[in-house]
Amino acid sequence: MERIQEITKNWKLHLVILIIVMISEKINIVKIPIGSGSIMFLPMLYAMVLGLIMYLAKPVKIIGKAQEAISGKFVVLGISVFIAKVSINSGLAVQEVIAAGPALILQELGNLGTIFVALPIALLLGFKREAVGMTHSIAREPNVAYIAQKYTLDSPEGRGVMITYVVGTLIGTIFMGLVASTLATFTPLHPYALAMACGVGSGSMMAASSAPLVEMFPEMAETISAYAATSNVLSTADGILMTVLIGLPLCNFLYKILYPILGRKEKK
Amino acid sequence: MEYVLILLIVTFIAFIGNSIYTGIGLMESLPGIIILMLIAMAGITLEKLIPLPIPTIIYITVIGVLLAMPYSPTSEVVGTLVGKVEMLPLATPVLAYAGVSMGKDWVEFKKISWRGILLAACVMIGTFLGSAVVSHIILSIQGII
Repeated sequence: MERIQEITKNWKLHLVILIIVMISEKINIVKIPIGSGSIMFLPMLYAMVLGLIMYLAKPVKIIGKAQEAISGKFVVLGISVFIAKVSINSGLAVQEVIAAGPALILQELGNLGTIFVALPIALLLGFKREAVGMTHSIAREPNVAYIAQKYTLDSPEGRGVMITYVVGTLIGTIFMGLVASTLATFTPLHPYALAMACGVGSGSMMAASSAPLVEMFPEMAETISAYAATSNVLSTADGILMTVLIGLPLCNFLYKILYPILGRKEKK
Repeated sequence: MEYVLILLIVTFIAFIGNSIYTGIGLMESLPGIIILMLIAMAGITLEKLIPLPIPTIIYITVIGVLLAMPYSPTSEVVGTLVGKVEMLPLATPVLAYAGVSMGKDWVEFKKISWRGILLAACVMIGTFLGSAVVSHIILSIQGII
C-alpha cells in the first residue's frame, strides 16, 4: 500500500514523462542522409535526453532523488509492454524464427568475439585487471552480479565491469542504434544478421538498435523484430552461463598470455 | 500490486504516444494496447508465482508467441489488433523514465576516463559485430539470405 502511495504521490513525475513522450512522438523520426543510407534519430532518444535534462538541470523542481529511484522501477517493469509487442511479432513470424534456429543459437558464441578485440585494446590503453571486468561481456545486470560475487565490486575486475555497465546504460541505447544503422549502410551484413546482433544487450538496447533497421527495411520489419527479440531472449537465458563457462575463463586465459606482451610495465 | 499500477501508467503514456506517432485513432488502438498490457502483467505475475529463477522476458515471450503463432486460433485477431500499436512508441516512455533514473549514473559517468568510455564502446561494437558476422555466415550457409 505504501509503495502504491509512493507512485501516486509522484503523479507530477508521470505527467512530466507524458509531456516528454508527447513532444518526442510529435518530433517523430529525424533522418540525416549519409551516403546510401541514413543515421536515424528516434523519439525514444529525445525522450531519454529530455528525461536526463529534467533530472540534471531541474527546470521543474519535482524531479529529484526520490523520483530517480521510482523511475528505475518503471524502466525495469515498463519495458515488458514493449517485450509483449515484440513477442507477438515473434509469434507471427515463428516459422522464420524456427528456420533460423541454428543461426540464432550459434550467434550467441559470436558475442564472445568482443573479448579478442577489446581485451588487447584494453591492455594497449594501459588497463590491468580492470580489463577483464570490462571486456569479458557486454556487462548487463547478471554479469555485474556475477563479477561482484566472484571478485567483489571493489576489486579491479569489479571497477572494470562497472565502467562498461555505466557507459552501456548511459550511451548504450543510443550507441547500439547508431552501430546498427551504420553497419546496415556501410557493410554487406544482411539486415537479418544485424537483427540477431541487436539482441546482445539489454531490452532497451534491443529496442533502440532494431528500431532503425525496421525503419530502413520496412518490408522485413516483422522478421527483423522477431530475430532481434529471439536473440535477446536467448542472450537473457544463456548469457550468464556463457559468461561463467566460457566468457570469463577465456578472458582470464587471454589476459595471462597477452598481458606480458601488450601490458604497460609498472612505473613504480 | 505495485507492478499493476506501474504497467497501467506506462501503458497509458505509450497509448497516447502511439496515437501521436502513428496517427492511428485512440479507440482503434485501445484493444491492441490492452492485450499487450495484459500479456506483460501475466508474465510478471508468473515470474512472481513460480519459484524458479526464470526472468520475466521468457514468460512474456512464451505467452506472446503462443497467442500469435499461425497455428493458434487467436493468431489473426491478436495480430490485427496489436498491429495497430507500433513497436517504437512502447519504448519511448520507458526511455523517458530511464533518462530520469540515469541522473545518478551520470555522476559516475563523469568520473570515467575517456579511455574507459572508448573501451566500453569497443566492447559494445565487438559484441554486436561478433554476433552479426556469425549470424550472417550461418544464415548464408542455410540459404536464408
